[in-house]
Amino acid sequence: MTTVSPGSTAQPDATAAVADGGAGGGVTTAAAAPLPEPGRTLWLDILGVVAILSVLVALYGAIIWAPTEAVMGHVQRIFYFHMPSAWVALGPAFTIVFICSIVYLVKKDLRYDRIAGASAELGVLFTTITLLTGPLWAKPIWGAYWTWDPRLTTTLVLWFIYVAYLMLRSSITEGHSRARLSAVFGIVGWIDVPIVFMSIRWWRTIHPTLVTGEGMNLDSSMEAVLMLSLAAITLLYVYLLIVRVRQLDMGSRLDRLRQLSHLR
Amino acid sequence: MSELGFLFAGYAVVWVALGGYIIAVGRRQSTLRREIARLEREFRTGE
Repeated sequence: MTTVSPGSTAQPDATAAVADGGAGGGVTTAAAAPLPEPGRTLWLDILGVVAILSVLVALYGAIIWAPTEAVMGHVQRIFYFHMPSAWVALGPAFTIVFICSIVYLVKKDLRYDRIAGASAELGVLFTTITLLTGPLWAKPIWGAYWTWDPRLTTTLVLWFIYVAYLMLRSSITEGHSRARLSAVFGIVGWIDVPIVFMSIRWWRTIHPTLVTGEGMNLDSSMEAVLMLSLAAITLLYVYLLIVRVRQLDMGSRLDRLRQLSHLR
Repeated sequence: MSELGFLFAGYAVVWVALGGYIIAVGRRQSTLRREIARLEREFRTGE
């Protein structure tokens, strides 16, 4: 075994094995080279600040700038964060789980498994927000927090599917067997996503339909605030996804380093 | 609950959920930093 001082630039073969999270997972001393601090880069910090600022601007738009809806009143303002949360969960978040699961099964690269895991976590977060804000909007309008409407029911099923996905991941140690199982789950679970999208067309529903054949059913200033909120929440999702993937990558490298430190 | 009460509750849910997640991510970040520092110390003393 070779020993490398923390400041050394020498990178013996094992460094690569540690750095790339490769299947070989060789436990050698090259990992003694200093690790970069996780998640600290200027562009990522800037992205984080921009994401948070845009969410605050969207909040201002939703609460102050957007006109009050004629029938529903102020409670309709929940919509400006309810709908973008649903979009992020059902659109990018769970679709990235689906795509990365397929790519993992093809390439057998654990990094795709980690991206899928991080995206599922965020998908569950945003679905939770959707499922909690929806009833608070529904109660004063429908007179009930919850109805077993097709859109609501399929979204709840989706939430259960991805909570089960995360529970599966947390119950197995990181590695290819967990990644394989998660990938299959992530692909099969995604089938519910188009069902949620299409539920308002396939079945009779009381859930509002925003986009019709003639475009959006919204006043232009409401549409502008909605677009702003969609952009802000999507940006926040992208930022949090990058941070979480970097953390998971670093955690994986640290696991290998721990093994190494025990063997020294 | 009044209409504004529901609006407040809706936004409270959003901020609590997002804030809770961001705090959890920040704590994981701190744990990783501590672990890296510990391992670096261990490697230095082990040489």
